[in-house]
Amino acid sequence: MIGRPLLHTDYAKDMALHNTFSKKLVFWLIVLAGLALPQILQDTELHLLSIGCIAAIGAIGLGLVTGYAGQVSLGHAFFLGVGAFTSAFVSGDPAGRVYGLGITNLVVWLPVAGLVAMLAGVIVAPLATRLRGLYLALVTLGLVFIGQHIFNEWAKMTGGGGVGRSAATLDLFGYSLSKADSIGTPEQKIFWLAFLLLLIFAIAARNLTRSGVGRAFTAIRDRDIAAGVIGVSLPKYKTIAFAISSFYAGCAGALLYALIGHIEPGAFSLVLSVEYIAMVLIGGPGTISGAIAGAFFITLLPRLTRDIQPLIPFISTAPDEMPNIYQVQTILYGVLIIGFLIFEPRGLVGIWFRIRSYWKNWPFSY
Amino acid sequence: MTLVATQTRTQTIASRIEAWAKADPDRIAMREKDFGVWEEVTWAAYWDRAQDVAHALLALGIQPGDRVAVQSENRREWLYTDIATVAVRGTTVGLYPTNPAAEVRYLLSHSGARVVVAEDQEQADKALAVVDDCPELEWIVYVEPRGIRHRYDHPKLMAWQDLLKLGREHRASHPEAVAERMADAQPDDIMTLVYTSGTTGPPKGAMLSVSNVEFAISVLVDGGGFTSPKPSRNDILLSYLPLCHVAERIFTTWFNAGAGVQVNFAESIATVQPNLREIQPTILFGVPRIWEKILAGVQIKLASASLFKRANARLWLKVADRIGTVLVKTGGNHTLGTRILYGVGYLCFYRALRERIGMRKVRFAASGAAPIAPEVLKFFMGIGVPMHEVYGMTENTAVATANRPKRVKLGTVGEPQLNTELRIDEETGEIQTRHGGTFVGYYRDPEATAKAMTPDGWLRTGDIGEWVDGTHVRITDRAKDIIITAGGKNISPSEIENGLKASPYIKEAIVVGDRKSFLAALIGIELDTVGEWAQRRKLPYTTYRDLAEKPEVKALVQSIVDDVNARHAPVEQIRQFRMLPKELDHEDGELTATMKVKRSAIGTMFAELVDDIYG
Repeated sequence: MIGRPLLHTDYAKDMALHNTFSKKLVFWLIVLAGLALPQILQDTELHLLSIGCIAAIGAIGLGLVTGYAGQVSLGHAFFLGVGAFTSAFVSGDPAGRVYGLGITNLVVWLPVAGLVAMLAGVIVAPLATRLRGLYLALVTLGLVFIGQHIFNEWAKMTGGGGVGRSAATLDLFGYSLSKADSIGTPEQKIFWLAFLLLLIFAIAARNLTRSGVGRAFTAIRDRDIAAGVIGVSLPKYKTIAFAISSFYAGCAGALLYALIGHIEPGAFSLVLSVEYIAMVLIGGPGTISGAIAGAFFITLLPRLTRDIQPLIPFISTAPDEMPNIYQVQTILYGVLIIGFLIFEPRGLVGIWFRIRSYWKNWPFSY
Repeated sequence: MTLVATQTRTQTIASRIEAWAKADPDRIAMREKDFGVWEEVTWAAYWDRAQDVAHALLALGIQPGDRVAVQSENRREWLYTDIATVAVRGTTVGLYPTNPAAEVRYLLSHSGARVVVAEDQEQADKALAVVDDCPELEWIVYVEPRGIRHRYDHPKLMAWQDLLKLGREHRASHPEAVAERMADAQPDDIMTLVYTSGTTGPPKGAMLSVSNVEFAISVLVDGGGFTSPKPSRNDILLSYLPLCHVAERIFTTWFNAGAGVQVNFAESIATVQPNLREIQPTILFGVPRIWEKILAGVQIKLASASLFKRANARLWLKVADRIGTVLVKTGGNHTLGTRILYGVGYLCFYRALRERIGMRKVRFAASGAAPIAPEVLKFFMGIGVPMHEVYGMTENTAVATANRPKRVKLGTVGEPQLNTELRIDEETGEIQTRHGGTFVGYYRDPEATAKAMTPDGWLRTGDIGEWVDGTHVRITDRAKDIIITAGGKNISPSEIENGLKASPYIKEAIVVGDRKSFLAALIGIELDTVGEWAQRRKLPYTTYRDLAEKPEVKALVQSIVDDVNARHAPVEQIRQFRMLPKELDHEDGELTATMKVKRSAIGTMFAELVDDIYG
């Protein structure tokens, strides 16, 4: 039935990953762009984009629990930290200053980091099944403080507050990604890895959201009592949401610091959580593409503010002057969150949805 | 021996389905939307299921000539039952799902149906309520078990699944029984009883024989009478009007059986617009009410569109009006100028508009079953939907006249069909037809049958008409609706009424004034559009009646009446009007099942309003 996109003759087609031709096209264009970018961009920019890819994995994780399942979590920093330290522990030198197992292969430490974070998520989940809204936010906030305390004090594991330890090594079955060779520079290879991982995690999340589990999440978000009444088990699905979300956070934390090279316990503070909340809210809660867009937006924002600084001369670049660029950045997060929540609650993708529906509804308005 | 038997066998719609199943078993014959997905039925599955039902009917003892009734919305089971009944030489009787119990009693007892297929609890309740008054009724088969199974206990009730089981058992023990019965089919078997809606008096059951229907298929389907070029297997249509009406039966069952057109069943009459958009049919038949409603919907949605979209729409609707005017003049042929204008407009507006109203792929649109305002037809022609008014009635198996592509004359119902004799009586101006599709007679009513025919064998249609340019027929009105004013002027109310109904704000208009000194009208507003109009003016209202009686709404209606009056001679002008205090309804006896106004009923029900006008 050519030319009849609304005529669905089976559920599989209706629910397909790429249910329209244009979605399929855009997906493959993005893949092509991802493969080509390392040949075009400078290494410093590639590094930033790699961090964006990894941050996007973390944001997708938060998006699943907050955007899809509607459970506000301020504890994302904790799970990122658990992932980061677990990976560092697995790949660290057994004879070093801090604990280490000496298994440097990414294929091992990445899933382990995810699984340990996931375990932490499952332990926290029972709280979420009893609380909702503001109360849940407060409890997860508590988690960040507990986490920070442990990270600071458990010096044998984390290196201790203000000191830290070196992160996991980017090693694939003995092949090091962080050394230049005939294939490319470290930045190029790392970008390809980050991009590939983002694709895997994003498609997995997208598949999850179009499955029965994903529909249960949205049902809980839209009205948890109604969801319970129609047979969605709240404890079960809230636990699943937290587990998957923390798995994503764990993996993102591990990779993020593997890219940076060094972990400092003080990094996993409330500010980091808020940054991820900002990614989800600015990108567009309840969509995978929104989480990705938000992650790139927030990651590239410092770079952006630095670029526009020369245009606004009264803002200083020195940290000890007022007002300085770092303060502006912090303020920008807040302003952007407030602005998006008020003017475009569906985030960056909401702007796209708006444009799309404008033309989709042509010549009517609805 | 068997070969000879199949060759001399009378062709019926059942044998046509069998032939499709043999020739093209895996092709899609029909679709029905169920839980959001269009489920497909192949020709092989269609014929297989129809055979099961046919065997079940044999098992229930249905003899040639016995009646099987169906009261259901359009769905697969309607067609299975219809085909099965024809296969066992029975007679299908269609009941409108909206028929209230009192009418069901009349129809079931008058037709003497032995089996009634009731769609759901609602229809089964009606049948159960009247079962004691219908001694011939033996089985009530329900299709949707919800609310019935495990709750109802009646010896005559049977589930559709049980009917199929019965059929399969019979089929296993007598595999050739249906084929044998089909081989005995005769051209003068009564295939279906179509109860005419009866704007006056109780409904009359028109008997259509196998040869009537085969004639209609040869003219309307193979001859391209209702779709030209003639329909084929590549055509797609949406079935949404009641199947018991002859028009939808032609488009759904006979187009399907005759030309292999794919049928898609709309979920209900309320979802026609979204379903149209999904299916994007290539052939679309509608009654005037449907076209008016789509037009009104377009106007409302455009009125509430954003500024830029509104300006764009205004521009292209103006252009469409110009294109429409040219097309009306040329009979539907584009000139170079209109073709260029339409091409540009197609990109900016018409393509999207047609996609939204589900007419992007329509290659032949037809309006019939009631008179329609030319303005409405012109709108659709202007936006590029090839619109054709057609004319026919149950009693001549809908074979009378149709407008042909490129020879359209707006305001006429077109040229006589192939192999059709049509004359206009010189004294009365009544249109009369004679051809192989003329019905056998009214069931159990020889008196009415005699009245419907002239002594020399022509069918009296009861419509007054005239020739236009010697080729096309224009219908003035139903003979019995003509108003003669106190001044002795003959006035056709339907033309004035359609002029009024062409406005999106007016749903019903009934012109009165027989034997009075001037014409008046009873007017019913369209709740959706007037409600929207009121909202935009911040005019609060509660109910239909409240809204209708607002002075602002009366002023709105007055302005429409003035517009229409300006186009008519003084004697044909509406001097006064009154608002109907309620929406007209089939259940209350104000409308027929096909939503035509019952004038006699209106006259008595709203006598006070009329007296008030002439008081």
